[in-house]
Amino acid sequence: MAEEKKKKAIDRLKAMYPLRARIDEVYKNSVKAMREGKPTAWSMVNWWEGDPIIMAMGVEAVYPENYGAACAAAGAAPAYLERAGADGFPDHICGYARNCIGYTARMKDLGEIPPEAPMGGMPKPVLLMSAGSLCDARYKWFQALGRYLDAPVWVLELPHLGVKEGLMEGAYDQAIRFMVEELREFVGFLEKLLGKKMDWDKLEDISNDIIDMNRIWYETNELRKARPCPMHSRDFWTCMTGCLYPAGDLKALKKMYQDLYDEVKYRVENKIAACPNEKYRLVFAELPPWHSLKFFDRLAERGWSFVVESWAYHPPKPIDLSQVKDPLERIAKFTYQWFAGYFEESEKQGEQMGYFGYPYLEYARDWQCDGALLHPLLSCRTATNHLMYVQDRLIQKLNVPSLVASGDIVDLTLFDPEDTLRRAEAFEETMDHYKEVRKKEGLGW
Amino acid sequence: MSEKSRGLSKVEEICSQRSGRAKELKDEGKKIMGYFCIYPPLEMLSALDLLPYRILGDMREPITKADACLPTVVCPFDRSALDLGLKGKYDFLDGVVWAHVCEVGEKTAHVWRTYLNPAYFHFVDIPHTIHKPAQNQFVQQLKDFQKTLMSFTGKKLTSEMLVEAINAHNEQRSLVRKLYDLRKPDPPLISGSEVIKTLKAIMSLPVKEGSELLREVISEVGERKDGVPFRPVRLLIWGSIIDDTPLIEMMEELGANVVMDDTCVGSRAFFPDVKLTPDPLEGLAYRYLVDLKCPRTFKESTYGETKKDYLTDLRSRFSYISDYAKEWKVSGVVLQSVRYCDIHGYEVPGLGDYLDSVGLPHTYIEHTYDERSLAPLRTRIQAFLEIIRS
Repeated sequence: MAEEKKKKAIDRLKAMYPLRARIDEVYKNSVKAMREGKPTAWSMVNWWEGDPIIMAMGVEAVYPENYGAACAAAGAAPAYLERAGADGFPDHICGYARNCIGYTARMKDLGEIPPEAPMGGMPKPVLLMSAGSLCDARYKWFQALGRYLDAPVWVLELPHLGVKEGLMEGAYDQAIRFMVEELREFVGFLEKLLGKKMDWDKLEDISNDIIDMNRIWYETNELRKARPCPMHSRDFWTCMTGCLYPAGDLKALKKMYQDLYDEVKYRVENKIAACPNEKYRLVFAELPPWHSLKFFDRLAERGWSFVVESWAYHPPKPIDLSQVKDPLERIAKFTYQWFAGYFEESEKQGEQMGYFGYPYLEYARDWQCDGALLHPLLSCRTATNHLMYVQDRLIQKLNVPSLVASGDIVDLTLFDPEDTLRRAEAFEETMDHYKEVRKKEGLGW
Repeated sequence: MSEKSRGLSKVEEICSQRSGRAKELKDEGKKIMGYFCIYPPLEMLSALDLLPYRILGDMREPITKADACLPTVVCPFDRSALDLGLKGKYDFLDGVVWAHVCEVGEKTAHVWRTYLNPAYFHFVDIPHTIHKPAQNQFVQQLKDFQKTLMSFTGKKLTSEMLVEAINAHNEQRSLVRKLYDLRKPDPPLISGSEVIKTLKAIMSLPVKEGSELLREVISEVGERKDGVPFRPVRLLIWGSIIDDTPLIEMMEELGANVVMDDTCVGSRAFFPDVKLTPDPLEGLAYRYLVDLKCPRTFKESTYGETKKDYLTDLRSRFSYISDYAKEWKVSGVVLQSVRYCDIHGYEVPGLGDYLDSVGLPHTYIEHTYDERSLAPLRTRIQAFLEIIRS
């Protein structure tokens, strides 16, 4: 007798699988192209500020942050972390960075890609494209790699204005002017580095595809406001990579995001839930424990549906850039929109942390969340700095409680899923309590 | 404040209640402007007759309030400063200026603004690089800062006022350099602890009063006969903020004189002058963005280089430290940082390589900005001093 197949706690999107496979394939193709002699850049996530430019210049990019998650998942990270420690890097700095530093040190020792490196490894780069966005590690880490590599470092600039200062007269225009000037310098630098001229038509095409792909991705996430939620955070985390680390044939990738959108829309129209037993709707901040993602299935079994997450990895609120003629200005405005797109609303609400802080209030309200799961990372200031603040703002302003569970993105020993599950059970009573409080205060969910 | 005390005894008096003079001046109608880290241009505050008052932490006071809004895995100095703010110890400030000094500092700014809600608050963004467009952007940032300052004080800030303030701060910097000259003899005429206290004191006084105090200290120290005892090791201390004396005192007890520093209640804050430029804001921007030597700013040996040579890069970033070592006859370097300070943490192996290349012994220690975390470091410092002595 055929045993009835146990229903999965999270109903993953069908369109996610080819997208994930495509992302993996694009990565492997990049590695292959690099091995065949194509210039390679190691790049920090840069929110589309530098990606379209190096793509238009024919440079293949790999992303050591993303590679850190891959090493963690494949079990290769501990040896690299240990090597970074042995070379004198303090153990509190970013887990992705220590993984990359250890990897690079080993590559230097061997004179080639370490044989145990997951996914074919990262080939020697001609450029380290770092970014000043959000995180000090994003430029200090690549600067520190000078110990092992002779590749130059370029730091992409992104102004980090406060909410009030960012809304001062002229501040926006000045920020964009600065970014455009820096990007023009970057193009000049790349032309010198690679001995070739920028293909401006190609840049135009690539930047438009990236902007459009993000629009589709944004609209997909908007659909998740529906009850029941049609897409779980696990699908978000799998799919975000295509947008955050654009590579390969962007038109084909865009089509995959469109397929994803269509499937989510179909689910909304037919009330198909990602978490069939949706009882609690939650927001997650910031990066998940990549090594323990099945933990979310166990929460889903309890009816926990993660409906929105990770401000830093969400696409920007769409803005009309069709009238902007200069592709560098369009890129600058798009990236800055990601960073500062919540400022006006934040100011109206009297909130001072317009990025990383206020967006979670908007998420909790608009996605109608019962609670938040906050995940401080012991080796990542960026994903952690603001979490106590977010916890306080959510409860003070919206009566949405938070559960704090510490861990790490790379080091699995720092996360205790069993203890978190035990605390989750108790947290359900808190969520129930605040649901009543919100109802009494007329908050609408 | 006692009118009789002068020089080092006045320094002690100020440090025992650092906000005392600021509160006196506040009672007389002066506005007190708190600033965090060394990046807000103090000249702009002094020019408008505001008293720049450095916001510091207190490593002797347990953090009990700040954990509610900053996690424990971020900079303990920032947490301590915020903790004091939340306990009302900075309530006398009329306003606060904060700069994008590092990522945690940046978030702490927004947290401070939210929970302490001062009457005036301005956040100055600072680029990460020193390219010409970054310098221009910083000038624009200072112009926005100027606008909000003028609106807050109701006064116009003219170029003439700025030039006068720049001259006053440059004069103070020159006095600090003279104070540091007193550390060059062997034994030094002034101890590392006395220097920290003196600098901490002047960071709570109007610039001209601070300069007067420096003159008194320099004169007193130059004349005294029973100053610092001879100790066999002369140390330079590098790294994140040190705003109290226990770490230095521990090194002194173990047989070393701390004769030079590269920290931000130290030479890093005071050594570079502001050059006078036709638009004084440009000179200020250059000094604070390019000349300050904190690792929060990305610098390279040649702008736009297409191939990096490691040693050349290290020399361009750190050669000033070996210059200090030669001038102050340093026999070893202690690299120290508060735990969770990323910008200093990434710097440690590279700086270690540089010091190896110039033959300077070094060690790295980490602490959590409290006296308790210093105790286990005692043995390591002792071992380091023995290595140097041998």
